[in-house]
Amino acid sequence: MSATVQADPATPAGSASGLSPRRPLGDRVFQVLALASGLLVLVILVLIAITMSQQSTAWFSSEGWSGIFSIDWDPAHNKFGALAFVYGTVVTSVIAIVIAYPVSMGVGLLLTEVVPRRWSQPIVYVIDLLAVVPSVVWGLWGFLILNPWLQTIYAHIASAVNGIWILGNLFGPLNGNYVSGESFFTAGLVLAIMITPIVTSLSREVMATVPAADKEGAYALGATRWEMIRGVVWPHSQVGIVGATLLGLGRAMGETIAVALVVGASPTIASHLFIPGYTMPSVIALQFGEATVGVFRAALIGMGVLLFVLTIIVNLSARAIVGRNARRMRGTA
Amino acid sequence: MAITTDQRQVDLREPSGFRRATNQFATGAMWFAFLCMLVPLGFVLVTVIAKGAGIISWQFLTNSTIPPNILPANIDGMGAAVVGTLEITGFAAVMAIPLGILGAVYLNEYGGNRPLARTLSFFSDVMTGVPSIVMGLFIFTIWVLHFGYSGLAGSFSLACLMLPIVIRSSYEMLRLVPNHLREASYALGATKARVTLTVVLPSAIGGIVSGCLLAVARAAGETAPLIFTILTVEATNPNLFSGANTALSTQIFTNATQPYTGATDRAWGAALTLIAIAFILMIVARLVTARFNRYSR
Amino acid sequence: MQLRGSKQAAVAGGAVIAALALAACSSSSSSSSSSAPASTSSAPASSSATASTSASGTINAAGSSFQNTFQQAAISAFKSVNSNITVNYDSVGSGTGRSDLYSNTVLFAGSDSPIPASEMSKVPAGKTVLYFPVFIGPITMAYNLPGVTNLKLTPTLIAEIFQGEITSWNNSAIAAVNPGVSLPSTAITVAVRSDSSGTTQNFSLYLTKAAPSVWKLGSASTIKWPSTAHAGAQNTGVASIIKSTPGAIGYVDYTDAKASNLSAALVQNKAGDFVAPSPSGASTDAASATIASDLTFAAADASSAPTAYPISYQSWDLVYSVQPNANDAAMLKAYIGYLLGAGQQLLPSLYYAPLPSSLDQKAVAQLNQITG
Repeated sequence: MSATVQADPATPAGSASGLSPRRPLGDRVFQVLALASGLLVLVILVLIAITMSQQSTAWFSSEGWSGIFSIDWDPAHNKFGALAFVYGTVVTSVIAIVIAYPVSMGVGLLLTEVVPRRWSQPIVYVIDLLAVVPSVVWGLWGFLILNPWLQTIYAHIASAVNGIWILGNLFGPLNGNYVSGESFFTAGLVLAIMITPIVTSLSREVMATVPAADKEGAYALGATRWEMIRGVVWPHSQVGIVGATLLGLGRAMGETIAVALVVGASPTIASHLFIPGYTMPSVIALQFGEATVGVFRAALIGMGVLLFVLTIIVNLSARAIVGRNARRMRGTA
Repeated sequence: MAITTDQRQVDLREPSGFRRATNQFATGAMWFAFLCMLVPLGFVLVTVIAKGAGIISWQFLTNSTIPPNILPANIDGMGAAVVGTLEITGFAAVMAIPLGILGAVYLNEYGGNRPLARTLSFFSDVMTGVPSIVMGLFIFTIWVLHFGYSGLAGSFSLACLMLPIVIRSSYEMLRLVPNHLREASYALGATKARVTLTVVLPSAIGGIVSGCLLAVARAAGETAPLIFTILTVEATNPNLFSGANTALSTQIFTNATQPYTGATDRAWGAALTLIAIAFILMIVARLVTARFNRYSR
Repeated sequence: MQLRGSKQAAVAGGAVIAALALAACSSSSSSSSSSAPASTSSAPASSSATASTSASGTINAAGSSFQNTFQQAAISAFKSVNSNITVNYDSVGSGTGRSDLYSNTVLFAGSDSPIPASEMSKVPAGKTVLYFPVFIGPITMAYNLPGVTNLKLTPTLIAEIFQGEITSWNNSAIAAVNPGVSLPSTAITVAVRSDSSGTTQNFSLYLTKAAPSVWKLGSASTIKWPSTAHAGAQNTGVASIIKSTPGAIGYVDYTDAKASNLSAALVQNKAGDFVAPSPSGASTDAASATIASDLTFAAADASSAPTAYPISYQSWDLVYSVQPNANDAAMLKAYIGYLLGAGQQLLPSLYYAPLPSSLDQKAVAQLNQITG
């Protein structure tokens, strides 16, 4: 990558390629240090995978594959099926991205297309502020303020939609009049609030790469701003935004503390959203303390492994999608 | 430049009523989306400030003993937790930031498209997605069970959390440095290390530092890794390396579910302190970006 | 440019700190290391539960969250009795507390139940665990039925309610036990905990002992409740469900029920009397429990005395009998001795029940078995 010219025969020119013996010691040491730091990531990941799997083998051996994904979580009778927690994780995360996707896209478009550059600072401040609020503060606020408040709102919605075809199953009360502030939906809402900043920043970056020439061409043809967005910005950046949303999904799946405080604590599989649920990270946080050392603890660590694998799959899919989009866009640019 | 958008007086390009309405509706929807972000933020900030401001005092922030939950709010304070958070997060930053920047340097400057670099980049992406509770369980298994609870264990788990974030953000910043800067330096006979340290890093430093500060702000607020590693205690432990410690985030978590109002009041005070710390880090990050951007332009 | 120098300095500084960290960690043993030299082995091995000793250092402890309120109060009061010893107690839960004891990261563990059989293999070989009971506490049947005070319940009824078999308050079985009370036809809402806890463990243990033919859900820190139950996390979660739902009933620790102002039902004990939850009722119940030689016992439903409150449970501090050094042994004797002695007087204001005096004496005598 570099063509070097030796200015002075006494000082060797550092070439980018290879460790030539004429490179000064400092240069080589630096390269080794950099490589070691990069490798650290690999080392840590491998260690995590090994140690956590070791700790959870008791679970796999006592339950078998069918047992692990059974719906029956009953420590009193030594049954540790994780399906309810996987379901809870999926439901709360899906709610989170369903809410976060349009909001992030809207704010991203606002920043790139609507608001002039010099006035975009306040909006960016709001996004940054939202990002720095720690998750435990969201949990504290959710537990003490949001849950009771939402409970009354849910009660009204639930009585309004009770019995209506799909809405009743989603938002209606369970078993009569059971709605709860601590619920799948509240957890999804809090997660949405937490992931929106990341998804917005990433979407904004993606949308900023749309070539100005295309945009100006659209305007030159008489398009309104909305039509330009639909015709130019969206095709270019849609896939990137989906990738950004998937990254937000990964983050939502792994969020522990805020969810533990607002999801209620009830391993349930039901279509209703206003009832308490349980997610994988929150059950680990809430049940680890009293778990007896043995299969119970192995089951909780095993769920940590499951969570690890799931978030990796989601993150890699996000990366693959964004990568494919980049290649496609390069072709048509 | 787009001449057409601002010109309302050019008749030929005036969109029809339906198109204009759609456009305005879309713009309104975008502002509504912004409102959806603003409202929860405002709600939580107002609540935390309203409930926490009454508790915060110099005594609250510095008193070295955290009182029992049952005692009311104005006795003692969360000073121990403040010290703990600063110590633990500070040391985690000291570990993660240099290693992260070096890792990004490797990926960007030395690695290129070679398989090792692509694998490492892949794995650092993987690691950004590892949930914080998994990091906590990991450090619990390999460190706490052998060496006991300590602030150091907490720092390790936070550093593991910060490392991929720092690598990622530094990598993105380094990539933005135009190649001609590097090539010019090589042309002048500099070694690669020298080019990286004296040309590339300084041009990217604004973005790198602000990325690191945001990673630190995120780590300061993390609870799950600390629950498994530091064993929440009630008195200040200035020694990071031995003995259990405490932090604002874990205190908030344990106090949130207490039935005693003194405990929940202290939780609000701690929440306000934590938000203030994160907020200060964020402001410093922006100032750094602004200053270095001015410098390098 | 000056940045290069500072970058290298940062790297070097980081390496130095890392080296220091490794050195510090390898030189400090497990968390039971004390700051005082071993010459404090002259600590008096007194058999009385006095807290005066020349031992000093830090005791790290973890375990049951049921003990948390008491431990916090005792730790803070102990400081004025013996300022050389600092005690740290983290309420991580009984399971993690015991596991920390097995791996020697704490000096004592708070546990609401004895070491279960499945964990016996985790206790390091050759180590004996001593159980020191610290207090007794009632579990209330907290309920929300406007207009109904002094609700009476039998163990069978409680089992059937919590298994979802009785679904409304005006059920004839409940009415039979509450003559003269007009019970509304409200549906019964059962409030439970699904985060694991010693409260759940001991409440379910009580039901297996008091209503064995009816109760099928077993006993553990997490129970598979019927799908109609409303779950909350922590005592406060259950309390808030009860408070906000007319017709709700749930199990809540007495200390937290008091703090949340909940009404509690009277429960029928073995003698047939309906007793309201109270610390003295819990002490009476525990006084008749069969105490094993290692001081383990189950207070739930233990007594046939007329004033005993049957849903009571206990908590222990678990300690190894052989400590790595004399200072640790002395510190433990001092602090646990305090818990068993002057610390018992802190209990009533915290809404716990002190140990029955015979049990307390046995525990104090057991202190002698801690050697170091």
